[in-house]
Amino acid sequence: MSADQEELFERLATAVFELDEALAAKLSQEVLDRGYDAWNAVEHGLLAGVNRAGKLFDEEEYFVPELLIAADAMYAGLAILRPHIKGHDSGFNRKVVIGVVQGDTHDIGKNLVRIMLEVAGFEVHDLGRDVPPRKFVEAAIALKADVIALSTLMTTTMERMGEVVSILEAEQVRNRFKVIVGGSPLSQQFSDRIGADGYAPKAAQAVELTKRLVGLVNAA
Amino acid sequence: MSDIAPSERLSRVLANQPVDRAPVICTGGMMNAAVTQVMDENGPTLPAAHFDAEGMAELAQRVHAATGFENLGVPFCMTVEPEILGSRIDPGTLSCEPKIAEEAFASCGAVEIRDVKKIIREGRIATVVQAAHHLKKRNPDTPVIASLSGPVSTAASVVTPLTFLKELRTRPQDAHRVLDYVTRLLVEYAREVIDNGADVIAIGDPTATGEILGPRIFEDFAVRYINQVCDAVHANGKQVIVHICGDMSKSRNQLAAIHADAISVDALVNLKQLKADFPQINTMGNVSTSLLEFGDAEKVSRNTARLVRDGIDIISPACGLSTSTGLHNIRALTETVKGNA
Repeated sequence: MSADQEELFERLATAVFELDEALAAKLSQEVLDRGYDAWNAVEHGLLAGVNRAGKLFDEEEYFVPELLIAADAMYAGLAILRPHIKGHDSGFNRKVVIGVVQGDTHDIGKNLVRIMLEVAGFEVHDLGRDVPPRKFVEAAIALKADVIALSTLMTTTMERMGEVVSILEAEQVRNRFKVIVGGSPLSQQFSDRIGADGYAPKAAQAVELTKRLVGLVNAA
Repeated sequence: MSDIAPSERLSRVLANQPVDRAPVICTGGMMNAAVTQVMDENGPTLPAAHFDAEGMAELAQRVHAATGFENLGVPFCMTVEPEILGSRIDPGTLSCEPKIAEEAFASCGAVEIRDVKKIIREGRIATVVQAAHHLKKRNPDTPVIASLSGPVSTAASVVTPLTFLKELRTRPQDAHRVLDYVTRLLVEYAREVIDNGADVIAIGDPTATGEILGPRIFEDFAVRYINQVCDAVHANGKQVIVHICGDMSKSRNQLAAIHADAISVDALVNLKQLKADFPQINTMGNVSTSLLEFGDAEKVSRNTARLVRDGIDIISPACGLSTSTGLHNIRALTETVKGNA
């Protein structure tokens, strides 16, 4: 990678990290104009920027508003670069069905995980909030999803997550999908008890978890 | 002082005066105790009681009688204000509280400002005001608490929430305009319900947590507007309780800047520590709602007794109760505080 190229990707990362959507779009166009590889720009520019934002989020220097704006800057760049991405080993051909379980309408955590999975290249199907257990299963089967991601912020709706696993078992399709769970009242212990494949305490860790479960540990 | 009436006890605690023991309350609104076991075919049920003043008052009375909480709390949801401001609500069911089906506006800039003095006569604000009036007439010695949805939560239920959160940073002037509007509505609403019998105002603002907003936005937007409502309640001669959700460890100083007569927080905040760090704050809380739903009565009782021992000023559930929470566990909580368990 040339020094010019590296410098441009770094500026792109900084634009995302510093929440400048217009600049992220402008620099993404510059990547194409100079004929640089679009995927490299996504990986070393947009993703690097969002990852830095995510790191500050975990360290509680950035909060939800900042992370959402960083994601918008990333999307603005991605809209320009995505049509020019060639084949690669990212998560682009892996599908995730995500939603907030029935009874809960808090969707900030779910939206953060969706954004970060999309950033990592997953094709994410968002079922929204207040989703009945059966709907997760039906959507996952219909879409041939790899992963079902369940979110709740409420203790009152946690048990719905176990129902999703039970339905998968009853339909004899449990081994077709990885089930991951997240949300502030949850724990690894809860995840183990309901028979989920994994639990992530933070949005960024949900991405690592998903990659690991679908065998993409080293992919971007 | 042992014969002190519940109204007097709560009012004294909120005024930093000595009492025989902590009151045990559940404010209503986002923290209501209208669990399914309270309702049967002989009385008002949800969702109908969300929309009818007499039903709302009667259900609050039944909640009070069945749970042992030393107050009457209305309403039983957080959708009264957003609905009046134009959002479409899903009325919910007996066991599932109403929620926002669709926010009224796509961005802060799109919010249409109306005359707040006019709109408080509309919709379910009138229902809540009337219910408070019935309750006060029937219960002179028990505090009637009217619960308002806080400014940030209301604004985030009128404007698409993710856009609203972004615009707190990207378009602060637009966000201030919406919060100012929402706050003026809440101030009028508080005055109206106080005039009609509410003894205490509770403000529940779950979206206004430092965990989501960060300390700076929490201070610039949440504390500023919550305080305007608190000050208005005080100007009307009444007391105010503020409930904040989530982990406030990074926003503790801002928490202390809220002009409330008591601060209620989630189960993950250590109230004893908060009290030690900020002796001027009256603390309220924070029996785990998860324990109340899934634990047994003995554990609830132990957990409650610890809060009493720690000198927490008002004992209460930590956050919104699940409607499937058993009455035996709620009674273990209230009876422990009253010294009967």
